[in-house]
Amino acid sequence: MLKACAFLVVCLTLVSANALADCRVHRGEHVVLFSTTDDPSVLMWDSRTRLREYHAASFDEAQAMLPHAVLASPGTHGDVVTCLPGYVVSPLFTSPDDAVGVTISSGPLKGTVRWVLGSDVRPRHKN
Amino acid sequence: MRGVSFASVTGTMLLTAFLLLSLGFAVEGSFETRGEIANTFARQAQIQQAQIDLEELLRLQIDEENSLRGYLLTRDPFYNAEYRSASTGYDEKEAAIRKTLGNQLLGANKLLADYARLQLEWRNTVAAPLLAHPRLRLEELDKRNKLFSDYETLTAAAIRRELAGTDDELERSTQMQLDRSSYLRAAWVLAFGLLAIVLNAYRTRLNRELEEERAVTRVLQKAFRSESTPLPHCDVGSAYLSASSDRAVGGDVFDVYRVSENQALILIADISGKGVDAAVLTAFVKFMVRAIALRSTDPMAILTEFNVVLSKAVADPYIFVSMFVGLLDTDTFALRYASGGHDTAFVRRRNDVVQLAITGPVLGVMEEPFGAETIYLQPGDTLVLATDGLTEVRNRAGEQLSGQGAMELIERASPGAQQLADELAAAVRERGGSRVRDDLAILAIRVLDGAVASA
Repeated sequence: MLKACAFLVVCLTLVSANALADCRVHRGEHVVLFSTTDDPSVLMWDSRTRLREYHAASFDEAQAMLPHAVLASPGTHGDVVTCLPGYVVSPLFTSPDDAVGVTISSGPLKGTVRWVLGSDVRPRHKN
Repeated sequence: MRGVSFASVTGTMLLTAFLLLSLGFAVEGSFETRGEIANTFARQAQIQQAQIDLEELLRLQIDEENSLRGYLLTRDPFYNAEYRSASTGYDEKEAAIRKTLGNQLLGANKLLADYARLQLEWRNTVAAPLLAHPRLRLEELDKRNKLFSDYETLTAAAIRRELAGTDDELERSTQMQLDRSSYLRAAWVLAFGLLAIVLNAYRTRLNRELEEERAVTRVLQKAFRSESTPLPHCDVGSAYLSASSDRAVGGDVFDVYRVSENQALILIADISGKGVDAAVLTAFVKFMVRAIALRSTDPMAILTEFNVVLSKAVADPYIFVSMFVGLLDTDTFALRYASGGHDTAFVRRRNDVVQLAITGPVLGVMEEPFGAETIYLQPGDTLVLATDGLTEVRNRAGEQLSGQGAMELIERASPGAQQLADELAAAVRERGGSRVRDDLAILAIRVLDGAVASA
């Protein structure tokens, strides 16, 4: 009985921790790409590692990484393939951001998979 | 003084000194806290000005980018001019923020420098090529523009956080200073309140003791003081003026005592010290002089004998007596007197007043022989005897009346003995006001105008 209770507590703790560290979007979700209002276009990366390094790097290092990125127009559609919660860390961020793998479903890059920052994707509600 | 001890007075003075010292520290502390808070407020104002300027800077940077976009889309020179204007405005605002921040806030300063460097680099590597070749819209340039945009947004956010953090810190610091100041003030007020209560209790106790002592002394003095005894061919008047209510009662005494049908012993004396001790000594003086006069009525012998008795009876070296003893013959108006250090004795003859010389030292100090003098009073003459409360009364400026001043008062006074005594007492009360420090006894004996001296 005691062991069952302990198991239950552990399970509940794990579930709670996962819930706390959850991504803002989930696999299969339809999304729209849109960055900040100042510059809403979105940089999409060919790997999640580069996405992370870009945000952790200095300006000059980040500039050198630009050939590995593609600029998507705001409003580009995509479907979430995967999401890594809190994967991207930057000294200029107040808290870590998610890395989201997206299959582009509109525009010239349609069909390709790219990595974008969690704050650059918005859930899309189909009519 | 009996109950009102020297230690009590010293304690009160020490407490008062401590209170004043504490008050000084409290005032100094308040000024210091005020300075600290003013300094913090000034820094906070600087930070808030920098925050406002930063938002203006960001607006100018967006203006720069939007003007560039407008130019690229329309090729209208208006946007090119707008771009230049926004660039100039940006540089001026950035310099203004640097000036506001000064050498403080190194973190925000460094971030601002990064921000300015990014903007300059954006102008050189993105804006300049696009302005030179408006049709050149390469993807690479767009990506670089995005990179700059990202970094500038993040750097601006970091500067905002840095400034807001410092602002919060200063606000907390101000709050702490205010709290500390409030607690300190409360503590001071509490301390002062307690000290004031203690001082008030002290004062109340002193006043009560003094009042009790005064009451006892007054009863004693009333019991021992002589009424004006009528003398043949003479008009006798007297007055007694008590010191201010916060002063201890002194030891002044006068007596007119008929030793025979035609002889009267006249006494006035001032005993050093105040309170019950002095009052008791007053009785001692009065009755001892009367006792000695039973054997000898010669003033010189009375003073000499009294001096011996006083020296033996009173051990306290600070107790001494100034005394005037006169033997007045009411037939011949001859006055034989001896004065032991008692110089407030005068004779008024018509419009002239003379001071009677002393014939020996004060009593109770040393055993020295006393001399005696004889004067002959004439009809209309007035013998005026007083204690030092007359000559030592001070005006508002602190000046004593002095013997000369007393003589002038006597000279101007009314002829009647009682009137004269009353007028002198009134003059002293008027001069001293609430600061009459000493008791005053006045005895006036006027030889009546119609009196004829028998040979």
